[in-house]
Amino acid sequence: MAASLALLLAVACTSQTRTTPPAPAAPPVSLPDLSGSEATVQRQINDRYQSLQALIGNHGQPSEVAQAYGDIGSLLLAADYFEVAEPFYLNAQALAPDDVRWPYYLGHVYMSRTDAAKAATSFERALRLRSDDVATLVWLGNVYLDQGEPDVAEQRFARAVTLQPRAVSALFGLGRAAMAKRDYAAAVNRFEQALAADPRASIVHYPLALAYRQLGDTLKAEAHLRQQGTVEVGPPDPLMVELRNLLNSAVAEENRGIRALDARDFASAADHFRKGVELAPDNPSVRHKLGTALSLMGDTRGAIEQFEETIRRAPNFAQSHYSLGLLLVASGDYPRALEQFRDAVRYEPNYVEARLQMADTLRRMGQHDKALVQYDTILAIDPRVAEARFGYAMTLVGLRRYREAHDVLSEAVRLYPDEPRLKEALLRLESLAAAP
Amino acid sequence: MCLLALTACRAAPPSGSTPSSSEAHAAEPAWFVDRAESSGLTFTHVNGMSGQFYYAEIIAPGAAMFDYDNDGDLDIYLVQGAPLSQTGSGTPDRGSGIPRSGGRLFRNDLVVNADGSRTLHFTDVTGGSGIVSHGYGMGVATGDFNNDGCVDLYLTNLGPNQLFRNNCDGTFTDVSRSSRTDDPSWSVSSAFLDYDRDGWLDLFVGNYLSWRVESSTPCFSASGRRDYCSPNVYQAQPSRLYHNNRDGTFSDVSAASGIAREFGPALGVSTADFNGDEWIDIYVANDGQPNQLWINQRDGTFKNMGLLSGTALSAHGKPKAGMGVDAGDIDNDGDEDLFVTNLTGEGNDVYVNDGNALFEEQSGRSGLGAASRGYTGFGTAWFDIDNDGLVDALVANGAVQTIEALRRANDPFPLHQRKLLFRNLGHGQFEEVTARGGAAFELSEVGRGVAFGDIDNDGDTDALIANNNGKPRLLINEIGARNHWIGLRLAAARDGAAGSSQTESKDGTRRTRDMLGARVAIIRDETLWRRAHSDGSYASANDPRVLGGLGESAGAPRVRVIWPDGKSEEWSRVDVDRYTTLIEGTAK
Repeated sequence: MAASLALLLAVACTSQTRTTPPAPAAPPVSLPDLSGSEATVQRQINDRYQSLQALIGNHGQPSEVAQAYGDIGSLLLAADYFEVAEPFYLNAQALAPDDVRWPYYLGHVYMSRTDAAKAATSFERALRLRSDDVATLVWLGNVYLDQGEPDVAEQRFARAVTLQPRAVSALFGLGRAAMAKRDYAAAVNRFEQALAADPRASIVHYPLALAYRQLGDTLKAEAHLRQQGTVEVGPPDPLMVELRNLLNSAVAEENRGIRALDARDFASAADHFRKGVELAPDNPSVRHKLGTALSLMGDTRGAIEQFEETIRRAPNFAQSHYSLGLLLVASGDYPRALEQFRDAVRYEPNYVEARLQMADTLRRMGQHDKALVQYDTILAIDPRVAEARFGYAMTLVGLRRYREAHDVLSEAVRLYPDEPRLKEALLRLESLAAAP
Repeated sequence: MCLLALTACRAAPPSGSTPSSSEAHAAEPAWFVDRAESSGLTFTHVNGMSGQFYYAEIIAPGAAMFDYDNDGDLDIYLVQGAPLSQTGSGTPDRGSGIPRSGGRLFRNDLVVNADGSRTLHFTDVTGGSGIVSHGYGMGVATGDFNNDGCVDLYLTNLGPNQLFRNNCDGTFTDVSRSSRTDDPSWSVSSAFLDYDRDGWLDLFVGNYLSWRVESSTPCFSASGRRDYCSPNVYQAQPSRLYHNNRDGTFSDVSAASGIAREFGPALGVSTADFNGDEWIDIYVANDGQPNQLWINQRDGTFKNMGLLSGTALSAHGKPKAGMGVDAGDIDNDGDEDLFVTNLTGEGNDVYVNDGNALFEEQSGRSGLGAASRGYTGFGTAWFDIDNDGLVDALVANGAVQTIEALRRANDPFPLHQRKLLFRNLGHGQFEEVTARGGAAFELSEVGRGVAFGDIDNDGDTDALIANNNGKPRLLINEIGARNHWIGLRLAAARDGAAGSSQTESKDGTRRTRDMLGARVAIIRDETLWRRAHSDGSYASANDPRVLGGLGESAGAPRVRVIWPDGKSEEWSRVDVDRYTTLIEGTAK
């Protein structure tokens, strides 16, 4: 095979015009140990590898062989086999040096391997092949920033902004580069532009707040800290979208489903989770998420089926007991809900949400003494749970222990002055006591 | 290729790192030499690995350096794991055939020879010490909670923690339950601190996740292969603050103090006065969630200023996987700067303090961020390796998810990475000097906790590295003593010891207690600020004595101490190249 490849490379190198620097020598390739991987993943990779070998054996066109190498590289990259993906991409790049995809994906391989220098080299190569690609410019800027080179990063982000003035990630990058250079006024300017371009980009608020803080404007800093989040808005990146959709595995489907859930596209999320369940029927996490997506779509019956099936296959998966319990509460079936919450805390005693639901359900069922024990336990696990103090007080009211309820609520109001429900309950209790 | 999980591997540097070449420094003696085995520190950590990828397997262990017998040298405690089974959360599996040995206490029988050279020897004195550690050990903290002049031991576990009161006669008593500090959560790092300045050490316990063998969830890599989970699969647990009641008991003030209001999966804890108001604050490094900076409100409560301080998230605005942490003055401007170790791909973070607890992230500019990007960092400290007056850094590394290249090589425990060593060049810049560290720095191991201290009393800081599923490394500093130094034990006379009748040490001298949190200014042309502390790093406890590197200057400096209660005292001349105990209220 090595000889065939050398021949192919020789053909490729003589037939192309030299618009880009010569590609590095192509190293030998081999597949990783795929044992332990899902069968579908093994099949995907092995099938492609056989196709590659057949192409090489049949002296296929360099562009075809390059594509075959690149396809395997992409599957391996998607499956997190970063080390072994590299030589496949290098071969693809050597055979098709004008194809932007291979240096671009190589940049991601090196980024995943935390090899910033090589990542930068590959992205720069990709940029020479397609100088107007905003995604490449942003990735490259980020790599330079991580390497502590804000000046170089700034140039790449600036070029991206020239191409696409409202590119949030590029504006964000310019702000970060300015922060690294301690030019806080410029940072504020860039971060504000990023937020103006897309207010959903909540990740911008934190560094913007710090820039305002450095300028001495604490009020604005605090205002932005209150809006701080983790939502990033990247440029269109079709190559990475393609890569994310390549792998046929339960985890990959789960990740796609999570992204759909984040986008509130519940139907699409359910589709992905269902595919994940088909690939790994015993994976409780995927099946539980399928139940959640169905529940969010309003398909309560389907959700219950999935939660029950998860419990059947993985009885100790506390989240499914909890989720099933919630649906049973909603349908008014308190005894069965209570069973589920009990199971959830049996497997995970510090599962505060499940224990809280259990306590509330006990209170609804009139089992006040048992509810009090559960509320107490919750507060021992996590003293900040205001709902537990509220529930405790309401249970005492149910037991007509008004003075104790008043004491609990007073203490809760002191601890959580921002919880209106506690204040209202205390006022109601006080007015009840004051009534003739 | 590794032959056995318990055997360290020679490391190839990860792609992307550019360590200094060993050959370039071939003529220079190694900066550190591992003397664990030759000194009798015979111990192997067992993580109980069963093939089930139980999360707890990859989190421990820590280690402690502390002088439990008051003989003037540091002894060692090493945390032990156990097999995990479905029979109980963190309950050692009695049917596994693996001995249930628990953590070990090693007495330091240091001999200073006539020529000044040191002979280190450790004796395992666990049997008969009264220390019987239960369950699956995670970390350790040290401090004299009952003010009897003898250092006590707090062990964090997967399951109830344990407090061992030092009886001042070489033995300990388990007072976990009576002291009310037997937190049943999964705790990793903890710290003794006097947050209310009443002269009695309180206790902060960092809690991690709600995880039990029974509810362990299988996790998978993108290809569907089993691997260890990430922390977001499980729920974080609130950390605890215990107030010392001065009678051998503690009260849980987590809610009243405000500490319980915000929390994440806590792994690293460092206490220091970050805003310069002379009240001790608490920094908590969380795994995958925002870190917290609890600023002491001087009324028994704390306020989390993590976000505004700039230490909660990365410069990008995202939380990182905070593991180890230390506070120290990297630029000698008199305030406490932070170093936080993170996950592979994230890089470690340096937060430089402006003196008011407002920090600037300078990970990129310092050179510490990019150089660590290929590693998952755990135990660490700012410490002055060469006594030149600038604090340097060491980081123990080890991944938490399978390293594919190692798995390909059929490595049975494919998480190991090499350690990193950084030298402070001044002006906020560090250079990686791992290659000058010596043979121990060429080993690839699953490093976790590191305890720092002068184990051979020769005036420089040594490091004890606790490896997961492996042997510890006792890295003896070979270069610090080339420069002049000042060693200080900041102490107070014992005060109303609770639960102990002993008042004098073996040699008849009156015992004193370490003043954790005291700050000291070593005043020459340039002033060095250092702090007595045993916390920081990861799940570990450090030498509370203060070492100040003086470089080539042999002149006796002036020393000002700011005690934990805010009072200060000054000593006009303190001898160099030796340890001096400065007792509160005795300055002339």
